[in-house]
Amino acid sequence: MSIMQLVVFRLGDEEYGIEIGFAQEIIRIPELITKIPDMPLYVEGLIDIRGKVIPIIDLKKRFGYEKTERSMDSRLLILDFESDLLGIIVDDVSEVIKVEEQAIEKLSAEISSLGGNRIQGIAHIDERLILLLNGSKLKTEVLKN
Amino acid sequence: MIALAGIESCKTLAEFLANLIPGGVVFGLVEKDTFVWVKSSDSFTLDFIKVGNKLSDDTTTMEAIREKKVLIKNIPRTVYGMRVSMVSIPVIDDNGDAVGAFSIAFPKLHPVAAAFGNFAPILAEMFHEGSFLYMSDLTKIAYAQPSQKFDMPSISVGYELREADIAYRVIHSKQPIIEEIDASKYGDPLSIANYPLYDDENENIVATLGIVTPKKTAVALREMSDNLESSLEGIAAAIEQLSASATEIHSNEGALNTDINEIINISEKINEVSAFIKEIADETKMLGLNAAIEAARAGDAGRGFGVVAEEIRNLSAQSKSTVPKIKELTDTIKRKVDEASRKSNLSLDASQGQAAAVEEVSASIEEITSMSSELSNIAKTL
Repeated sequence: MSIMQLVVFRLGDEEYGIEIGFAQEIIRIPELITKIPDMPLYVEGLIDIRGKVIPIIDLKKRFGYEKTERSMDSRLLILDFESDLLGIIVDDVSEVIKVEEQAIEKLSAEISSLGGNRIQGIAHIDERLILLLNGSKLKTEVLKN
Repeated sequence: MIALAGIESCKTLAEFLANLIPGGVVFGLVEKDTFVWVKSSDSFTLDFIKVGNKLSDDTTTMEAIREKKVLIKNIPRTVYGMRVSMVSIPVIDDNGDAVGAFSIAFPKLHPVAAAFGNFAPILAEMFHEGSFLYMSDLTKIAYAQPSQKFDMPSISVGYELREADIAYRVIHSKQPIIEEIDASKYGDPLSIANYPLYDDENENIVATLGIVTPKKTAVALREMSDNLESSLEGIAAAIEQLSASATEIHSNEGALNTDINEIINISEKINEVSAFIKEIADETKMLGLNAAIEAARAGDAGRGFGVVAEEIRNLSAQSKSTVPKIKELTDTIKRKVDEASRKSNLSLDASQGQAAAVEEVSASIEEITSMSSELSNIAKTL
């Protein structure tokens, strides 16, 4: 029985989780974000963290949410895809939880592929449904048109 | 002068005239120095003019005989007990010697005294509390006229004037005196006016005319207006106190309002502190999450650190949970304070209304006070 740790954050009313291994750190959204011209709307621009240039995307915009305003709790979650870093803007990183792998329900391949294979499963904890992002595919899925 | 021969005619004439002369008269015939015939009117007699009475040398009649001259003299009261006008006409015999005299004595009565019986009863009734009129001669009460409503039984005809009596003082000062006497002397408060009366030549005081009026109404009115005045003074003092306390309430309410606003400011500050706590909690939470991420990345080596990270997150969650509780408390404070402020404003309005009402009452009192002092002035002139 293996246990996985998830970083849980919210987008609107939904809770999302991603394996902790993909997370590097959580910071407040920097005031200065350098815009890149002629980019899709969900690409916020570039920031500099400790000498590294990191592209930022607004995940709610990317996922097609209608309401995309930010709050005091909005955070920037820096994800680490081996050598590449990517910042995603989320509504509040709420916790780090441990779940047993059995508690994760896989989505059928058909459903998953409709959503661009971004969601690999649902962590069902008590009455919470946490959408589990597929970390290994997220970067390519998110950055393709 | 009368000739001896004409005496009988004079006597006859005198018999007729005696009761026709107003005020009365006494006729007397003197031979040498003795009355031999006397005729008095019914209303007036003189004791010393009597048949057989001898006259002393210093009398008017004897003087007239000695000087063979008609003499007319006013005899003061001290001689016969009343003022008398004496006319003495010598009787002359054929030789031209004065052998006697025909004497005519008139009572000398001041015109006011003569009329007293006519005017006094009417005048006495003309005062609404009644009055008492009197006349005195130089030593005693000569006439008295009570009214239906008022009498002075202690002052009757024949009463001897004393030094303290107003009539006595008028006679000696030769000035009219008007005095008010309180109730202690005669039972009622009185006003007494007394005027000197002079004889025809206006030289000598011969009598006084006095009028006594009871002053019960005026004195009662005066007392009442005095009472009213002192009551009003009391009320005015109370009103002033009331006004002072209204002002104090007003300033207290003002101070209370300031305090309330300060409390509101303080609860705002508590909210600021609470926001700061939330910020720290958020920061701590992020720190905890980052620590957890860091621990996970470290693999097994980071396990212990992961526990610490979890504790930090718990701590953060606890701190953060106090924020809404504090907010709730400060909201309650704000609500209560708003309520207090509203009530205090109501009191402020009420106290302002009170102050205005007090001012109105005060103005009315002032008006009444001025009326009362006018009333008092009127009462004093009664």
